[in-house]
Amino acid sequence: MKKGDIILLAVICVIAAALAVFFLYTEKGGKTLLVKVDNEIIYEYPLDTDRRIDLEHNTAVIENSEVYMYSADCKNQICVKTGKISKKGESIVCLPNRVVLEIK
Amino acid sequence: MPSEQGSAGNKVKKLCVWALLTAVCLITGYIESLLSLAFIAPGVKIGLANSIACVLVFSGDIKGAVAVNLSRILLSALLFGSPVSLAFSLAGGAASLCTMLLLKKVPFFSVIGISALGGVLHNAAQCAVGIAFIGMGAVYYLPVLIFFGMSCGAAVGFLSALILKRMKKG
Repeated sequence: MKKGDIILLAVICVIAAALAVFFLYTEKGGKTLLVKVDNEIIYEYPLDTDRRIDLEHNTAVIENSEVYMYSADCKNQICVKTGKISKKGESIVCLPNRVVLEIK
Repeated sequence: MPSEQGSAGNKVKKLCVWALLTAVCLITGYIESLLSLAFIAPGVKIGLANSIACVLVFSGDIKGAVAVNLSRILLSALLFGSPVSLAFSLAGGAASLCTMLLLKKVPFFSVIGISALGGVLHNAAQCAVGIAFIGMGAVYYLPVLIFFGMSCGAAVGFLSALILKRMKKG
């Protein structure tokens, strides 16, 4: 084992750690919200601007890069109770009104 | 013994040694599958067979290193693998072998460091193949692959250094 080896191993470790940190940091949240009704994408919004999305039966809110269903006129309120989503692939579904909020 | 026959005999001897080493590679591959590291991280192997390529490179038999490595990869894909696993092994084998051949002459590093870097690039190349097959999602596995490529590569290098030391003595 030479001195060069130790430096090399240290550099590799640092690169692996830096990559891991970079991926963990960038993977944290998705970038856009897809609003689907009847399985068709009707809106696409970036997550970095806060807004309120009024649909026929539901109201969704984007706030601090998180999405939640503010209200729904259905009986079960499952979508409202789902809470906040922010990660890629997460979704909120309102089955009675056939509304899906999905993060891409 | 006339010199012509002697050189032919040498050739045959070399060929036999390469064939023997290829067989050793295949067997180590099998033994390794019994002591799998997959419980630590899926898909991770020590790569003991690479120590043979490593020893061949550092004992100066570059032709042998390429021949043995290539036959090992093709044979193990035929015996245990699939076209997909062949693509992964070829990319990894080529990357690590090229690394070792290029860095062999650099006096700054010993066998251990060069083998560790070979392991890292072996896994990086496999990650690139993974991206080609399943998309960018594979890139998130890269840090893990780099780390284990380094550890396993260093272990293989250590083993190779031991073998090389004994070869010099003998």
